[in-house]
Amino acid sequence: MKNKSEKTYSEEHLRYLRARRYHAIVVWTLRIGLLALLLGMWELITALGWVDPFLTSSPSRIFATLKSLYNDGSLFYHIGTTLWETLAGFAIAVFLGYSVALLLWWSETLRAVLEPYIVVLNALPKIALGPLIIIWFGTGSKAILFMTVLVGIIVAIMHMLSAFIATDKNKLLLMRSMGANKWTILAKLVIPSSLPSFISMLKVNVGMAWIGSIMGEYIVSRAGLGYLIVYGGQVFKLDLVMTATAILCILAAGMYFLVVLLEKLLVKNTDD
Amino acid sequence: MKKQILRFSDVTLAYHTVREETLAAQHLTFSVDEGEFVAVIGPSGCGKTTLLSLAAGLLTPSSGRITRNGSCGYMLQKDELFPWRTIEKNILLPLEIKHSNTAENREKARALAVKYGLGDFLSAYPSQLSGGMRQRAALIRTLASEPDILLLDEPFSALDYQTRLNVTADVSDIIRREGKTALLITHDISEAVSLADRVLVLTKRPARVAYEHDLDFGDVKNPLKRRESAQFSKWFELLWKELNG
Repeated sequence: MKNKSEKTYSEEHLRYLRARRYHAIVVWTLRIGLLALLLGMWELITALGWVDPFLTSSPSRIFATLKSLYNDGSLFYHIGTTLWETLAGFAIAVFLGYSVALLLWWSETLRAVLEPYIVVLNALPKIALGPLIIIWFGTGSKAILFMTVLVGIIVAIMHMLSAFIATDKNKLLLMRSMGANKWTILAKLVIPSSLPSFISMLKVNVGMAWIGSIMGEYIVSRAGLGYLIVYGGQVFKLDLVMTATAILCILAAGMYFLVVLLEKLLVKNTDD
Repeated sequence: MKKQILRFSDVTLAYHTVREETLAAQHLTFSVDEGEFVAVIGPSGCGKTTLLSLAAGLLTPSSGRITRNGSCGYMLQKDELFPWRTIEKNILLPLEIKHSNTAENREKARALAVKYGLGDFLSAYPSQLSGGMRQRAALIRTLASEPDILLLDEPFSALDYQTRLNVTADVSDIIRREGKTALLITHDISEAVSLADRVLVLTKRPARVAYEHDLDFGDVKNPLKRRESAQFSKWFELLWKELNG
């Protein structure tokens, strides 16, 4: 048995802990330093006129753009639009994908029947459906939402199905020997044992949801961060493109971080 | 005459794959009496695990009859404790599944765990326990549903040698003290000789019973003591010859 509440540490162990802490501080300092260096260089070469800020923008111009967007009240409107599309699309794709994967796990026949369709849908570049989506759903948020769900759902299905199928054979045998029926096996074994896969599916789908919503906005939108990027590109306002991209980086990282937080809360006890 | 808990009468089982049909067992006949500890040994790939699946009712024989008077508890090579459940929740799992999750049964299961030294670990997770303790928890889980017969599928083979000897003695002691009937499948001759009242030797596929021996250890039930006794090597040699002859 491992004793986790060791009270006294040896001198050697304390030295080891100090070294670990020191290492973490070094890594974080370098990470932040690298970002500061990159931003500083970027600012410097544009300020010195080595490159044209009209083409590359610069941190100070991004900050100014951010301020003007905030002042005319459109900053949070665009962020809100994209964030809503992404989060709603993410939630729907995850929920539907998980449900379909459960159905496919339940029925081997259904799985065999639908397999080629899923393979084809997975391989198909969803952007090819752009024109159809515009015609079916118009040019509003609905079309973008549909695109986001479409991009995420297949990944969710395939990821969860393979996790359900990979349920430990011996644990299944054990459950059956105890007289468990399929519902009980699902509730007490398959779903809990696939929790780590569920989290990794969420992580993959965070990226998928942003691909879906931004791609959707490229095709149809009149608002949102993807719209700002496309619009900025068309009128050659690279400051706007860079600003929207920077906001996207922060939002995507934030959403990923939330999933990691969820993982820490939910996945505590596994064998590996 | 003692009550028969399990009986195989002229059992035949065929496995089907697209390529071929394999006979796993043919004319397999034996029985296990109440309170008896029977060990089954056989050449590797003779369908030992199949035999346990048949006994547990997870497979239906192609022909012949299997009668089991009472419920069974299965114990596998690895402990198969669910890592997301505490030891207590793991032990109560069969009660939840069999819908016999009453306060009384839960208390019985907990008492069993306390009796056999798991009391301090009830709220611990399996990853915090050693291999031997985990296998003991798996046994208590198997016993929690009060099965009439224990089906043991090489339950010690995943442990290292030192731990294996101790856990074998430990598990044997618990099974004897609880007066349980057990059917052990193993490829380890010394394990069979050190544990069982009776040993069945299977032929290679299709499996049937080739030899059957009542072991004459008298009252010596402790596996470690048996290993030291004079008859041990005699039985080992005989079974070795029968397996390889």
